[in-house]
Amino acid sequence: MSDKVSFKINGESVTVPKGTTVMQAAQQMKIAIPHFCWHPGLSVAGVCRFCLVKVEGRPKLEIACNLQAVDGMEIRTDTEEVKDAHKWALEFHLINHPLDCPICDQAGECGLQNYYMSVGKYQSQMDRPKVLKPKALDVGGDLVLDTERCILCSRCVRFEKEVTKTDALGIFDRGDHAIIGTYPGKKISHNYTTNLVDICPVGAFTSKDFRFKQRVWFLEEKPSTCAGCSTGCQVDVFGKEQTGTYYRLKPREGEANGHWMCDYGRGTYRHLNQEERQRFAFVNDRGSRRDVDFNEAIAVLAKKLKHTKADDVAILVSAQYTNEEYEALFDFFVGKIGVKKVYQWREPTEKLSDFDGLLLRGDRNANTAGLLAAMKLHKVGGDKPMNQHEDVAKSGAKLVIALVPEIPTGFPSLKTHLLGLSELEFVSFWSVNGLIDDLKQARHVIPLKGFAEKRGTFTNHAGKDGHLTTPFNCPVPDARCIVETVSALAEVYSRAH
Amino acid sequence: MAIKKVAPPPVDANGFAAAWGYFTTIMTGMSFTAKTLFLQLTGREKTNTLEWPEQPATYGPRFKGKHFLTLRDDGNVRCTACFLCATNCPAQCIHIEAGQHPENEIEKYPVRFEIDILRCVFCGYCEEACPVDAIRLGPEYAMAGLAEEKWVYTKDYLAQRGELRGGITSVKDENEKHPITDKAHPKEAEIHSYVRHGHH
Amino acid sequence: MGNTTDKVKILTAFEGMPNSRALSTYTSKGGYDALKKVLKMQPAQIIEEVKQSGLRGRGGAGFPTGLKWSFVPQNLPGPRYLVCNNDEGEPGTFKDRYIAELSPHMIVEGMVIAAKAIGACKGYIYTRYEFFEEIHWLETAIKEAYQAGFLGKNIQGSGFDFDLDHYTGAGAYICGEETGLISSLEGKKGQPKLKPPFPAVSGYLGRPTVVNNTETFAAVPWIMTNGAAAYKAIGTEKSPGTKLFSIAGAIKKPGVYELPLGYSFEKLLNDDCGGMLPGRTLKACIPGGASAPVLTPEELKGLTLDYEAIAAKGSMLGSGAVMIIDDRQSMVELMKVIADFYHHESCGQCTPCREGTGWLANIMGGIWEKQGAESDVDRMWTVAKQMGGRTICALSDAAAMPTMAITKKFGDEIREYIRRGTSA
Repeated sequence: MSDKVSFKINGESVTVPKGTTVMQAAQQMKIAIPHFCWHPGLSVAGVCRFCLVKVEGRPKLEIACNLQAVDGMEIRTDTEEVKDAHKWALEFHLINHPLDCPICDQAGECGLQNYYMSVGKYQSQMDRPKVLKPKALDVGGDLVLDTERCILCSRCVRFEKEVTKTDALGIFDRGDHAIIGTYPGKKISHNYTTNLVDICPVGAFTSKDFRFKQRVWFLEEKPSTCAGCSTGCQVDVFGKEQTGTYYRLKPREGEANGHWMCDYGRGTYRHLNQEERQRFAFVNDRGSRRDVDFNEAIAVLAKKLKHTKADDVAILVSAQYTNEEYEALFDFFVGKIGVKKVYQWREPTEKLSDFDGLLLRGDRNANTAGLLAAMKLHKVGGDKPMNQHEDVAKSGAKLVIALVPEIPTGFPSLKTHLLGLSELEFVSFWSVNGLIDDLKQARHVIPLKGFAEKRGTFTNHAGKDGHLTTPFNCPVPDARCIVETVSALAEVYSRAH
Repeated sequence: MAIKKVAPPPVDANGFAAAWGYFTTIMTGMSFTAKTLFLQLTGREKTNTLEWPEQPATYGPRFKGKHFLTLRDDGNVRCTACFLCATNCPAQCIHIEAGQHPENEIEKYPVRFEIDILRCVFCGYCEEACPVDAIRLGPEYAMAGLAEEKWVYTKDYLAQRGELRGGITSVKDENEKHPITDKAHPKEAEIHSYVRHGHH
Repeated sequence: MGNTTDKVKILTAFEGMPNSRALSTYTSKGGYDALKKVLKMQPAQIIEEVKQSGLRGRGGAGFPTGLKWSFVPQNLPGPRYLVCNNDEGEPGTFKDRYIAELSPHMIVEGMVIAAKAIGACKGYIYTRYEFFEEIHWLETAIKEAYQAGFLGKNIQGSGFDFDLDHYTGAGAYICGEETGLISSLEGKKGQPKLKPPFPAVSGYLGRPTVVNNTETFAAVPWIMTNGAAAYKAIGTEKSPGTKLFSIAGAIKKPGVYELPLGYSFEKLLNDDCGGMLPGRTLKACIPGGASAPVLTPEELKGLTLDYEAIAAKGSMLGSGAVMIIDDRQSMVELMKVIADFYHHESCGQCTPCREGTGWLANIMGGIWEKQGAESDVDRMWTVAKQMGGRTICALSDAAAMPTMAITKKFGDEIREYIRRGTSA
């Protein structure tokens, strides 16, 4: 027997591996079958009864999510009977829904709203009082639970059971009084709570972090790669370019991460916002800090570089920048100037092999593999993370170019090291985050663009590339990526004397 | 006011005749003005001019003037910070910052609600977009001022300014938030009486 | 006690016998002889015999029992399970408890035979929580059967092992649905499971499981003793055998009756049950438990009690709970009771059922409190129509079918109630 089956959806033939459900096949064929409880990353529950399709020759409509494709089967999703069934399935979901869209963060990306527009019944016949349930419950993690909005699709329960295996959620009571909740004495506490917000097709689970901050229709959504650790999850960055504010990261289905993303990684947008950002370049001569523009900062550095012997220059590189940036950096400093002292800037306590079993890795750098490869290519540096400021101090370098790690949350001792480094003779800090901003001793600071604002590539722990393709406009006017900074430096350096 | 037909000035090439023509026309007009002035000064004819601001001007009930925010029965602003007015605003003059209300039942409320009145085009789309009758355009039209900061109306000003005499409570209460049948709807007339309550 | 006509006594053979529940009474009348005979047979032979007898599941759906048993994969290693559904929850039904009261050993014997047929190693009798006495009787019977060597290791020296246990849920209608029952048996919330996979392939603890109704098991020993042909000779062509009918309502002699299928309804009502109570007239009849659509007196004329005849009238034989509704009974109240029942018992898993049963009860509550509109009657019909055939289990249909029937056939009475605020 063949391990493939051929069948038809709406008259269109498709051949899929045996065991494929009609829902999966329809997804491949881009035929939209409305659904709530089915999720590609979870088991089939078959409870929302929304994905009803007509199987020619069978009397009843069947649910596509639990219907295995059989040779010669003919499925229809576009008959009046099916459309009517979809209308009513949605109507049943809506009759006890509180319709508090105005105060619901899900509004704008809500399954109920979207399906109401595409398959809605419009004329509701529900004129009786609705069932009232508890609202705005803190169930732990990043989660606020509104049981009234819940449509009991059980995605969250299955996520807790199947993905994180924490089993904190259950459905209690029955009939139309059934509610989602945590078991007595339990709270949801793991590093993946916000996934529940993503998979919740309605606004039952909303994020504390994003709560009431912005309406989603004001946000731009741009594909990117998470810079939080060496897993390199595919993400979408949500921000508002008009005000230069970032609001959240969400996972995008990808090879590295499947459907999920950790809460730690979701927090890695915060350092991009104004209040945590390095917003100006400055130079600091004899204790008098002076904000300068980018060109002036580069001119100061080029001059310093020109007057320092290559052997007295050290570069300290974080593993959170892109392959393209490393290439430009080493090409200039190592290839052109002949710098030998290259140090990696990673958290000394971190263990590269640490892994939580799902996504988050101990190596909180998106591009350790890329940095090591670039260093190997240019035959510089060791492969061990250094005890940064002390090692650099010991090296006797008179000019240090320090590429500060972009995301401070992964570096508990970052501030100490910045302080240590700033006491050296002349350190030029290139930084995205603003931790360096209030250090009085810092001599020279250049703001950089964050991961969401540049193009480039990260190489993850498995050697797979994650791309930064669609940059936001950087809210810091003087910020450049390292490629731009180095090329400006090289330009000024060649003219300096 | 009557309109009097006057003869057009002659079009011949004679300069004097042309000038005479203009002169008589001007005089006709001036005599009308003088006559009206005399009649009105002596009170023989009613004047049509309004002595604003001593005399108030009244506009039709659908006039779209200065915005105000309505209140709940408990005195809090009714606005739930849903951003629909801001979304609908063609001038992008509404700025809202939402927050969690200390009373959990209210949940979302505007921490800041500001209207940049210099950008506002008084189209009334915010009023139409509002799902909870929280923002309305009132009858006030006199908005002169000097200092620049006055032109951004804050939440307190929009809800509680002196002209509103303690604020305007909307007829919609929580139970009627999502009226479904005619039974649950307040009578149309009732709404209108409330809408206009406190305006004048 | 039931008043069985003495046509054929299969399930009620021990009626009127003193100490009928005791093992000694049961064996004195040939009890467990069928088992002894079966222990020498091959499983396939047993299944074939049951298939030939035409025995259909007595729980409500009427699925052929032999066919159900044959679905169990024979060559799969590992345990298989057998479950007796004694969770008699269908409103109006009180037949299974009668068997447990009369001759619990008949159930035990039927189960051991079925276990032999499907190769089950372990069985459970799942009894409704509220049946305190029946639970005691069944547990006693199981203990006696163990002592007599009809259960346990090496039954009657045949080398066949079968353990039987008794289990009680917390008392939910939904646990009478076979996969809901299995969930409950597994210690989970009593919620039906998505099919496929069917229990015969993946049931209790993910193993092949057969769930049959108490009455089905009780009929098996007689079939094995007397042969499939003898059983098939009773009843009609497509509905052979006898069936217990639990009859209630304004009739002179309500109770449990064992009747051959295809028995005349009028005969049952007027002869066996002694007719309506004085001064009452027949208004309607629910022929198969609360989930069966109601039938009007016109539809009941000439009706025979078997699966096909009742289905032809648009209702169903179901569990055989015949509810006689007389002229004093308000259909509004009946509809309200039915709507409230299904609202209370919906497990809440599938949306159309969870919301639909609630909606029906909500509308009906409005009518009952005199806040209804006449359009509510049609609305209930429409909602019920959309609930049917769309869910994992049949509870949604069970709520939808009687609602559609009542609102269609007695809609005028409900409208009259809405208009006048009282039943006509």
